[in-house]
Amino acid sequence: MSLIKRIDELSSKRNFKRGWFGLVCAVFVFLIIIPAIYVLFEAVAEWDAVSDVLNDASAMSTIWTAVYNSFSIAFIVTIIDIIVGLPMAWIMVRKQFAGKKYIDTLIDMPLAVPTAVLGISVVMFWGAPSGVTIPGLGWVLTPYLMMVLLHIIFTYPYMVRSLSAILEQIDPNYETAGMTLGASRFTAARTITLPLFRAGLTTGFILCFARSLSETGGTFIALEMMGMSNVFFTGPTYIQVYKATSMGPVILISVIMIILAILLLFVAKYIMNKVRIPWSRVWPKWERKISRGLAVRSRDVITMGVLLFIVLIPAFYIFTYMTASGAPVNYGDLTLAIATSFLIAGIAVVFDVVFGIPMAMYIARHGDTRLGRALDNLVNVPLIIPTTALGVSLSLFWGHFDLSSFTLLLVVLGHISFTYPLMVRNIIGAMEEVDVSYEEVALTLGAKPFQAFRKVLLPIIKSSVIAGGILAFTRSLGETGATVAISSTVMTAPIYIMNLVKAGSITGDYYAAAISSIILIVICFILMFMVRRVTRDKEGNE
Amino acid sequence: MPRIRLENIVKRFGTVAAADDLSLTVNDGEYLCILGPTGAGKTTCMRIICGLTDPDSGHVYFDDRDVTRLEVNMREATMLSQVYSLFPQMNVYENVMFGPLIKEWDEESSRQMVKNIFHMVHMEERVNAYPNELSGGQQQRIALARALASGSKILLLDEPLRALDARLRLELRKELRSMVKEMGLTAVHVTHDQEEALEMADRIAVIRDGRIIQVGTPKEVFEEPKTPFVANFVGRSNMIEGVIASAEGDVATVTGNGGTVFKARYTDRAVGSKVLVAVKIGNTKISLTEDGYFKGRIERKLYEGATITVEVNVPDIGTVSVKLPNRKFDDFEIDDEVSVNWSPEKAFVFDYPENGLEDELRVD
Repeated sequence: MSLIKRIDELSSKRNFKRGWFGLVCAVFVFLIIIPAIYVLFEAVAEWDAVSDVLNDASAMSTIWTAVYNSFSIAFIVTIIDIIVGLPMAWIMVRKQFAGKKYIDTLIDMPLAVPTAVLGISVVMFWGAPSGVTIPGLGWVLTPYLMMVLLHIIFTYPYMVRSLSAILEQIDPNYETAGMTLGASRFTAARTITLPLFRAGLTTGFILCFARSLSETGGTFIALEMMGMSNVFFTGPTYIQVYKATSMGPVILISVIMIILAILLLFVAKYIMNKVRIPWSRVWPKWERKISRGLAVRSRDVITMGVLLFIVLIPAFYIFTYMTASGAPVNYGDLTLAIATSFLIAGIAVVFDVVFGIPMAMYIARHGDTRLGRALDNLVNVPLIIPTTALGVSLSLFWGHFDLSSFTLLLVVLGHISFTYPLMVRNIIGAMEEVDVSYEEVALTLGAKPFQAFRKVLLPIIKSSVIAGGILAFTRSLGETGATVAISSTVMTAPIYIMNLVKAGSITGDYYAAAISSIILIVICFILMFMVRRVTRDKEGNE
Repeated sequence: MPRIRLENIVKRFGTVAAADDLSLTVNDGEYLCILGPTGAGKTTCMRIICGLTDPDSGHVYFDDRDVTRLEVNMREATMLSQVYSLFPQMNVYENVMFGPLIKEWDEESSRQMVKNIFHMVHMEERVNAYPNELSGGQQQRIALARALASGSKILLLDEPLRALDARLRLELRKELRSMVKEMGLTAVHVTHDQEEALEMADRIAVIRDGRIIQVGTPKEVFEEPKTPFVANFVGRSNMIEGVIASAEGDVATVTGNGGTVFKARYTDRAVGSKVLVAVKIGNTKISLTEDGYFKGRIERKLYEGATITVEVNVPDIGTVSVKLPNRKFDDFEIDDEVSVNWSPEKAFVFDYPENGLEDELRVD
């Protein structure tokens, strides 16, 4: 209490406000941005090692193939997400039907599953270990196709969420007005509402693309189970495999991935903001036809079908292992690994809350100033950088400070880097909805700035802070790439499971890995459920 | 209760001056309206009083204390925003107790005080309601109660009636003013609605481009405008250009375009100076039978309830509007030829504005 009071007192001093914001910016720049892109400088310093790789034709072709795989998979997955996510967002926002609440929860569920577990589950569902024959089609699933199927699962929720968030803000009256002017429902939606979607599409595109580009654990496990992990690479799995042996190629591929990703971020923003898509052309007859009846019903059925058969069932297929048997699970090690994961995720989330809220507030309130815009763009950088490359960068950066004995701390710093933007983005969204007058009026009523913040503003944006916290926590819990890139000794839950899979790929017995995964999923769900419950109870009482 | 004094306040946002050497005094316990068009610097002026905006230069005094650099939360000047900003997560009681709790006043006596305040604003029955369950008028009363309970001596109202229905807005004018008076606060009320200002204020300060152009009682501002802008913004006026022909006794004679001649109030401006004559539309008369300064043809008539407005097209001069009681509605028909007249003492003479008439009357 006395600490809070002291902060209250301090917060009304002009210098303190400036100092605090300075600290927040410094933390962001020196703990998050610079370490995240430090590998770019290291590439210059270690130019000899890098240029050796550049001259090695076969190594270069592997690297380019890996980079190509990463970016093309991310692109295909994002496009599929848009195609199947748009009608889903539409249904969730504009339609009322029984059981909507449950579908709403189901959409988020894959987010709570560590991707390493998803990797196992998806390969098991589509058939392991050496490529799958889809019954009746005679298809063989190549690693590439398997990766696409896998990545859809954990990017899909991001797309649906970003799109529905925007759709909720778009007044349906525009569409109604369009229809009273003679447009069919489809034409009205396509020509009027869809163009207003840009912001949501940009966010969804960046989130999905970045998530797919970053993903390491699930991808690696799936490849491992298919016996392909030394043949087929994505950018992150390449780093994962070569990290222990040679730094040159690892630095090079990290640099390539980071530069391409940042370029892509700005190109995507530019395209979404500047390029005009010729929406205005209409085909009234054809569009009228697909506005009603069978077309609409089959859209709904296909949308739900995708959710069920492409996303949910493959994601949770692993639960079938509960009836199997195999080598026993070492519960002691598993508990330790889960505890480590929770510790890392917990510290990261606390950090994100403390330093992310002021950053988000500044960006939301000063988005029109030069500094505000610059910070707004910079916050996206750690989000788009593949986490494995980020991990490489981070460990190279802190390697200069002789922190090798604090590997856990370094892993925490790494997890902060990629969770921080999630928190900040979430709160910016919420802050933009809150009228600044609440805080100002509180000040004129005699509240000190920090009092105004914690008694008035924080309760209003609380649910977004919690949502951001859950997002950051689960993201940290599922992360493999960054952790491995930073330290080979810190044993988090996904890494523990990944090691079990590696062992399993030799013996063919995945029981221990599967059961550990199930336990992890169940704990995650209980946790999410409790957090939601606690926050809802409080809202009910007020 | 303090007297507020703004002294030579300057505040720029980029190239726009929201306050341009602005000085203003609000007396102890006074209800002052700052009246001006959108973008004139009304809100900035108010935010500088409560400390939410720092002036680039100049000083703010409460009584004789310089508070220019004093923190917002120490000023005891509460803002009542357009939307009242009742904290949505707190109920009515918690909202009103916000000030006392923040300031850590004795709980028992605060509770008693808050109870009295609820009684004063007639809201004892709704203390457990949440803001979104209240009507606009009730929200306003709670926002007032909250300001009073926080120990504020100064109330800053930013277009407090704007978000309300037209009918309610009219009713609440009286209620708001009498509650503020009863609470004994010094109030600064910002508005762009001249009727609201005329009806509610002890004094009105007309602001434009960051400067106070005129301060006075509603009667003074309405009847003795200092500039053509004030004449037109506070109650519409007909603006007629002309040149002083002569001035003697109480009356000046002015020559207008096309050789028209009309009378206005006495002025000591030299014969031959270019002037603008402003006559409130309510003081302009038309007649079918009697003679006037010039003749015109009725173009339009509007029925407005208690009053009507007749627009007369006068060759060489333009449209002249006339406000009349509604019983005159059937006396005039479109295309009737009428003569236009006014009493010379109701016609104000101004220097012709340097930047032209349009610029002077602009409201944006």
